[in-house]
Amino acid sequence: MMKTLNTFALGLWLMASGITAFADPANAQAEKILPYPIYQHKLDNGLNVVTVPFDSPGLAAFYIVTRVGARNEVEPGVTGFAHFFEHMMFRGTDKYSKEQYSAALKSTGASANANTTQDRTQYHMTGNADKLETMFELESDRFMNLNYSEHDFKTEAGAVKGEYTKNFASPYSQINEKRSETAFTTHTYSHTTMGYFKDIVDMPNQYQYSKKFFDRYYRPEYNTILVVGDVTPEQVNALSEKYFGKWQSGSYQSVVPVEPEQTETRYVHLQNGTIPAYFSMSYKGPAFSDSRIDMPALDVLASMVFSDTSELNKKLVIEEQKIRFIGGGAFDSRDPGLFTIQVSMVEKDDMAYVMAEIEKAIVKVKTEGVDEALLERTKSNLKYGYAMGIDTPDSIAGSLSHYIQLTGDPESLNRLYSLYDKVTVEDIKAVANKYFNPDHLTIATISEDAISEDGLGALK
Amino acid sequence: MRTLQRMFIALSALIFTLQVHAIDVVELKQKNSNKVVIKVRFDNGSIVDPADRKGLTYATASLMAQGGAGGVSYPDIQDMMHPWAAAYSAAVDKQVTTFTFQVPVDFADDFYPLVKNVLLAPDFNEKDFSRVMKGQQNFVDQVVRASSDEDYSKFALEDQLFRGGNMQHLKQGTSASVKAITLDDIKAHYKKAFTRNNVSIGIAGNYSDAMLARLKKDIGDLPDTAFTAGSPSKANTADGIEVEIIAKDGAFGSAIFTGAALPVTRANDDFAALMIANSWMGEHRKSYSRLYQKIREARSMNYGDYSYIEWYNAGGQNMLPPSGVPRASNYWSIWIRPVQIATQLQSQYPELADVSIGHAHFALRMAIREFDLMIKNGMSKDDFAATRTFLRSYSKLYAQSPAQQLGWLMDSRFYGRTDYLAELDTLLEKTTLEQVNAAIRKYWQTDSMFVTIVTDKGEAQPLADSLINNTASPMSYSDLVKSGLSAEVLADDAAVAEYHLNIKKVKIVPSADTFQ
Repeated sequence: MMKTLNTFALGLWLMASGITAFADPANAQAEKILPYPIYQHKLDNGLNVVTVPFDSPGLAAFYIVTRVGARNEVEPGVTGFAHFFEHMMFRGTDKYSKEQYSAALKSTGASANANTTQDRTQYHMTGNADKLETMFELESDRFMNLNYSEHDFKTEAGAVKGEYTKNFASPYSQINEKRSETAFTTHTYSHTTMGYFKDIVDMPNQYQYSKKFFDRYYRPEYNTILVVGDVTPEQVNALSEKYFGKWQSGSYQSVVPVEPEQTETRYVHLQNGTIPAYFSMSYKGPAFSDSRIDMPALDVLASMVFSDTSELNKKLVIEEQKIRFIGGGAFDSRDPGLFTIQVSMVEKDDMAYVMAEIEKAIVKVKTEGVDEALLERTKSNLKYGYAMGIDTPDSIAGSLSHYIQLTGDPESLNRLYSLYDKVTVEDIKAVANKYFNPDHLTIATISEDAISEDGLGALK
Repeated sequence: MRTLQRMFIALSALIFTLQVHAIDVVELKQKNSNKVVIKVRFDNGSIVDPADRKGLTYATASLMAQGGAGGVSYPDIQDMMHPWAAAYSAAVDKQVTTFTFQVPVDFADDFYPLVKNVLLAPDFNEKDFSRVMKGQQNFVDQVVRASSDEDYSKFALEDQLFRGGNMQHLKQGTSASVKAITLDDIKAHYKKAFTRNNVSIGIAGNYSDAMLARLKKDIGDLPDTAFTAGSPSKANTADGIEVEIIAKDGAFGSAIFTGAALPVTRANDDFAALMIANSWMGEHRKSYSRLYQKIREARSMNYGDYSYIEWYNAGGQNMLPPSGVPRASNYWSIWIRPVQIATQLQSQYPELADVSIGHAHFALRMAIREFDLMIKNGMSKDDFAATRTFLRSYSKLYAQSPAQQLGWLMDSRFYGRTDYLAELDTLLEKTTLEQVNAAIRKYWQTDSMFVTIVTDKGEAQPLADSLINNTASPMSYSDLVKSGLSAEVLADDAAVAEYHLNIKKVKIVPSADTFQ
């Protein structure tokens, strides 16, 4: 423990005295939402290495963000493949069989796992900072030299089926799948990260494709190494050079089809009476950007109009008690995604009324804008809410990973929050008019009723 | 004379002080923190619910945390906290209710009156009551059965394990009992069970001494009612292995939980030895434990398989064990995540068109057999050493944030310890292989267990028949997987397929009849 404390103290001293081989972001830190400097270092092969020293004696979070997700599943019959491949990354190399990998991972005493979303796959280990070199060695070996048998490949598909099976118990998972395929006809956001069940059942037959997938995406240019905690950038950069320096870059770029403009409201319904009636309204939204005001303005709008403190919540949840819950927001995504408002009903027969109330609230923002004082309170909420949440290496790494997946640059976090400060009432009015277009709307419903002939389902 | 008077007054004050319950306070000052975290724990929990008002403690805590307080309406409280991004919530478990408040340091003084009012001056009005109870009623009527078959099987296992005792019911209550709860019940329960005599305080972060002093004083103003929560009921002893199959419409798989009483908790030093064995057998969400490697990795029957020696809250969401759920009545358990049912296998693979049951019987046999093998053979020296090393490092990850640190320290007190995680490290260091193997033999057995399986209606009867008759249940692989299986896996499969389980009772329960 003493050694790691000393390392941290030395790191702090280096930062404070400016004696460092890197551009020193510490000086420009004052105005940023993240109160800790982000050190970035790009290897010659294109691999970006990000270090954030943080006062967590003896602890470090080690993440690898692979900017590949369901979005990249452009070929037919391979929905869910990025997620499946995440599973395969635990199936061993020539140096470490899967059993040896598990034993070595256990020896680090870390909390380690991986997960996949539509835009990225993320591998993470949080544990003893003294074991950082072991973590680097294990990760570089599998990222560069993954090698599994065809049998292991076929077998692992069963675990993905098990994951689908556990998720399927929730009607919300089922409507999520339907909503995606209704809202998107062409772009790969039309399928969920988990993929279609028929493709999951067929996964064991895709061994050759899996080799291609690894060759395409498990390359330096698709990946970012991110280490937060009781570490120094010197230490992390040196380990990155040592263990990832020989990783060969690639050239593959997937072409994700562009979603054509939607021209009318779409409806999708799930007949299920086991949960309270539910509906969602999903408008086509923008892609994430840390330079355009659209996404920050929509985030602020979402907090003002659809959160716990919104007028809608006060009226429909607290006063009239017609709904159990309302929430809404734009999903951060690399390509244009959805702004979704979700409502859980008390009585299904009030659905049309509640939807009309939501539409009224939207019209009000479009025509009158929002209250200036509330806007300032909301900005304060966003900033303090973020600051309160970053109290462990893992929470900081998780937050930075989110922005790395979107733009490749963790500084997008700081840029986004500085944009929040600039959002005006006019900006909010403008994005409401731009994005809340009924022709770009998909309505998804769950209720015990069968769908009606005109497609309106439970809204009738 | 005046001296005597002073002495008398001083003596009276001393006696008064001695009569008042000393409130336990955990202080964790962190000057670099940007926030203040306050936890206030009442030792009550769902075990103190009256028999005809199950869910009352949960309803009371929910109404305190989601209702008006100090004459300020709930939406006004939310508006007040909004620019600060401050928040508070209540969490109820079997034996405790914990309120957690978090606020940025910049607004701690503005926020503090809310802490006081929520705890000491809840409004308990009809409007809030109606809203909060709708949510609770909906949970027991629908959500518990419809949102996660895994959680459903876990709660249903507790229903079997503790049937007839105060640990049986869901903390949210039952469909009938929640309907019976009135606002007056809540007001009375608050006065009775949320008192200065069953409360403890925790504070972490960058708080001021003045705030701590105010908090201590104000908590001392809680009702001075004498209150004892009583003991939690012990887990029942099953007559052999007793299985309940919960039959649902449209289930995609079979979700399994099984367990039996365990007479030790974190309060006992033996617990560390069991922790090592349990981690090796089934550490939560870890690929290096035995159940996971056998059931998921080698055979890919499901998403994961783990074992537990204490309650693990929200296992589907948490990677590391959360604090705030200390329990004195304990059991050990195995979680087998949903496995395939017959109709799914039939529809996916033509070669499995004739299977009559899915994988649940095989998976249960395999998990119990692994425990039997561990009881018979113990752990090896190498496995023991590797697992102990792992746990000594891994347990340091349990309490990273100020709120987690506070939670673990407060739980320590529940078990009669000061700092459980630090003490655990010492216990692990001292534990020997012989102690672990002795603990395995002493505390684990598989002859008497409860099992719950949540599955599809169509799977229920064939599965029940197979279980009660101990019918052979050979693993049904697709041809794609079968062709590559090693001789070792196939030999294991053959032994598992015929493995005798001491099943004495199997009952099918329609989903609608659970938690009524």
